Amino acid sequence: MYIPSPSKFDPDENGHFGIFGGRYVPETLMPALLELDEEYKKIRFDKEFWSEVDYYLKDYVGRPSPLYYAANISKELGAKIYLKREDLNHTGAHKINNVIAQGLMAKRLGKKKVIAETGAGQHGVATATICALLDLECEVFMGAKDVARQELNVFRMKLLGAKVHSVESGSKTLKDAMNDAIRHWVTNARDTFYIIGTVAGPHPYPMMVRDFQAIIGKEAREQILEKENRLPDHVIACIGGGSNAIGMFQHFLEDKEVGCIGIEAGGHGVGTDKHGCSLLMGRPGVLHGQMSYLLQDQDGQIQEAHSISAGLDYPGIGPEHAFHKDSDNITYDNITDDEALDAFVWLSRAEGIIPAFESAHAIAYLKKLKDIEGKLIIVNVSGRGDKDMIQAKELLHFD
Amino acid sequence: MKHLVAYITTGFPEKAFTVDLALALGESGVDSLELGVPFSDPVADGPVIEQANFLALEKGLRFRDVLELSEQIASKVDTLWMGYFNPFYQYGMDALLKKANEIGVSGMIIPDLPHEEAGVYKTQFDTNAVSNISFVAPTDDDARIKELVRDSKKFIYLVAYAGITGSGQSEDLQPVITSIKSHTETPVYVGFGVNEKTAKEKVAGVDGVIVGSAFVNVLLQEDMNYQQKIEKCCSIAREIKQKINE
Repeated sequence: MYIPSPSKFDPDENGHFGIFGGRYVPETLMPALLELDEEYKKIRFDKEFWSEVDYYLKDYVGRPSPLYYAANISKELGAKIYLKREDLNHTGAHKINNVIAQGLMAKRLGKKKVIAETGAGQHGVATATICALLDLECEVFMGAKDVARQELNVFRMKLLGAKVHSVESGSKTLKDAMNDAIRHWVTNARDTFYIIGTVAGPHPYPMMVRDFQAIIGKEAREQILEKENRLPDHVIACIGGGSNAIGMFQHFLEDKEVGCIGIEAGGHGVGTDKHGCSLLMGRPGVLHGQMSYLLQDQDGQIQEAHSISAGLDYPGIGPEHAFHKDSDNITYDNITDDEALDAFVWLSRAEGIIPAFESAHAIAYLKKLKDIEGKLIIVNVSGRGDKDMIQAKELLHFD
Repeated sequence: MKHLVAYITTGFPEKAFTVDLALALGESGVDSLELGVPFSDPVADGPVIEQANFLALEKGLRFRDVLELSEQIASKVDTLWMGYFNPFYQYGMDALLKKANEIGVSGMIIPDLPHEEAGVYKTQFDTNAVSNISFVAPTDDDARIKELVRDSKKFIYLVAYAGITGSGQSEDLQPVITSIKSHTETPVYVGFGVNEKTAKEKVAGVDGVIVGSAFVNVLLQEDMNYQQKIEKCCSIAREIKQKINE
């Protein structure tokens, strides 16, 4: 059974990872965050709570997810590539790992209403799913632009009984969905639980969501040791807010021989103003309750991010990633829209696995990584590409 | 005499207008002025103030403009800066508080910098004689209120309801007010949802009111010229000032 372990990278009492993280929220929310923090301290290592999580992760989600040896691309690259198959989870991505645990926490706190923000819609679908399962009322905030490019996921959420708010302000993407979710939460903090979908937001969310996603890395570590009898040379994952990456890296970070590589959305290229590379091109600042790297202008106004993938289209990043960047614990690089789209086709045809656009960024990095020959590598396939079919159909022509 | 604090979005609709409006409000019963610093992601604000923020930024308002306008206003009306933390942080809190001291800005109101995160800047606020206004929300319990108001200066910003600015909610604040008053002598001003209709009721048991959306709503009117907007804002200010002191 998975139970998180204390990490040397745990934040301080007020949620700081170095200068990053913290709780930058209106006072109205502070009591709710302090209550959540207290509650999380009680259950973080509590066997009873985790055995309930374990039950759902096994029988409902289908964990452990396989670690699959991708023989065809391995041969092509002259390396040993393993894929961590989070795409095989119920609802099609890693998002459900986090949502199950937060849904159970909402129950424990006696909150009947749940809200969530969503970019690609995967977190919204996962939240709507768990609300159906646990009999919670669900409202999802989604940028109008994402509602249009992810219409299948919008329909799935509605089918599952959730109410979807299309957010029309600002860039109409994940950033603005999160603004409106926070506004709703400030208004309804007393009876509403906010299920944040990534390792971002005010403390304790970044630590909590990391713990909930770290089952990915724990399984992957056991699986690779069983199959190869050694640790991998590299572990690669894509980064929007950074939850699948931190979940995968958590159990490898303290091994000097393993290089963890996080891939940001390069969009049209970092030389343009259309990308999602908060770590590479941003500066420390405060947004959505946390101090982290942000895409912003000289005056601290937040700039719009861009990515082909709605899940990576965010001008910030989880604060723990900001900390790991500054401490050089993780290597960060980026992949453009075009490279990701090529990898989307490549993995589909070479292995018969259609990855999400987000995960295609991590896959694409296999072609960019220097000295790959002979290396043992795990790539996290954080989600499946079903949700991207409509968009892919517009972009790709096979006749 | 109960006090009236007025929030206006700086640089909206135009820079020169802000100075004219500020000075006129100062002559219409407004005791302190909150110069709002526009931000791209104002999560504690409702649609009225959010819209004014966006429009000011769209017109190219820069942070240095806010400083320049403050300089013209602060010597004539008691002035505070109200804004989200990131623009202040990017300027640098040390340099900003020195600047505030230099031009006579008396306080800062930062809705997303709660007590726990503000602590590291306390010395800088104190050295420069700038008050970091403490917030109390109706969701706070007595123990937390005690902690929040311990170092309060100038006034306490009591949030009238759990929600965002400018919405029409109302909550029974008397238990919170009693708790604040049992821990501090600092005056308590209530903000959020205060306008000429609600002012009298909202001021019960406290020492002043903070009014924002009611003024910004006037600024957003497209069928009024600048003179009409200033006159309307001043008449709202006079009316509120009178009602809270009846």
